[in-house]
Amino acid sequence: MKELDLLKKDWQKSDNSFEQVSKIEIYKMIHKKSSSIVKWILIISILEVLLWTCVSAYYDSDEYLKKIKHVELIAYFKVLNYFNYAVILIFIYLFYKNYIRISTTASTKQLMQDILKTRKTVQYYVWYNLAMLVFGLIIGFIIAFAYNPEMDALKNQINGNSKVMAITIAILSIFSIALFGLLWLFYRVLYGILLRRLYANYKELKKIDL
Amino acid sequence: MSDNLEHSFVTQLQENQNIIHKICRLYTNGDDAHKDLFQEITIQLWKAFPKFRGDSKFSTWAYRVALNTAITLYRKTKRSINTIEFEGRQHFLNDVEYDYEEEEQLKLMYKAVYQLNDIEKALIFMYLEDKDYQEISETLGISEVNARVKMNRIKGKLKKILNPLGV
Repeated sequence: MKELDLLKKDWQKSDNSFEQVSKIEIYKMIHKKSSSIVKWILIISILEVLLWTCVSAYYDSDEYLKKIKHVELIAYFKVLNYFNYAVILIFIYLFYKNYIRISTTASTKQLMQDILKTRKTVQYYVWYNLAMLVFGLIIGFIIAFAYNPEMDALKNQINGNSKVMAITIAILSIFSIALFGLLWLFYRVLYGILLRRLYANYKELKKIDL
Repeated sequence: MSDNLEHSFVTQLQENQNIIHKICRLYTNGDDAHKDLFQEITIQLWKAFPKFRGDSKFSTWAYRVALNTAITLYRKTKRSINTIEFEGRQHFLNDVEYDYEEEEQLKLMYKAVYQLNDIEKALIFMYLEDKDYQEISETLGISEVNARVKMNRIKGKLKKILNPLGV
């Protein structure tokens, strides 16, 4: 077939017509997978902060404290809030740093270390958030029982009857555990998938390392 | 050790990258798709590299993995390749001097090749790379006889595309 021979001739001349990819670019390509996972961790963490900020905009703790006539607590809440945002911003900065590091690494060993580091950072982040939830719940219960006048009736009943006390504690515990579980599940789904994929990459790299 | 392996992979891939470029050229249209496929093939090659024992040439091994990637990726996305901008491909022809008729023929030929399916493209690719039927059969995992039969059918198909009325 004449045309096919013609094509073959032209085809074999085309070798020089491709823009050559450099070694550095190839290094980047084979590390791309990890870096895109880490990029998602960064994006999700930022979205999550935005979500919590929106949620907290709907609930005004200042109003609540004014209602129960303990305005002096507002300052403490503010400090707590700022502290929380500061910590989360530090985490986001760490995620960002992990992302930059992983997307520029040119060695497998370094990449493996970076992957482990990123996993640790995410784990600390999740534990911090869960600890904050528990801390917040405890503070909330204490304030409700110690300061909220609406609770006086319940308090009187508890003092007179140990059964009521047991039921109250049980309800509060179930409520707390459910909330904790829900948040835990939320993180498990959100970051768990990404972390598992990252770990799969790590294992693949380790196989190569043997 | 791992850094050595990585270094050896990157060096060999860099030297043999035209194989991948040419596959991308057959299976994609447009620069972005070309780059995407190039990257996907690179990742697949890197994943498979630990199993590459060096008992064949790097290029022979790369042909196999790269074509498999192109074929499976092509099947997954089921892109339609029917509309191709030939103007964009002209730079492949520029540095060669030939008469006008030949140039026209080449254009039509490229157009025809793009209409083949993914497996046929793989065969044509190996043919254009001047591989013999033994190497084609090994790379694509089909028998030599089958490769010959398929190749003949493809030639027939190309003829039909070039000259649909059979004049």
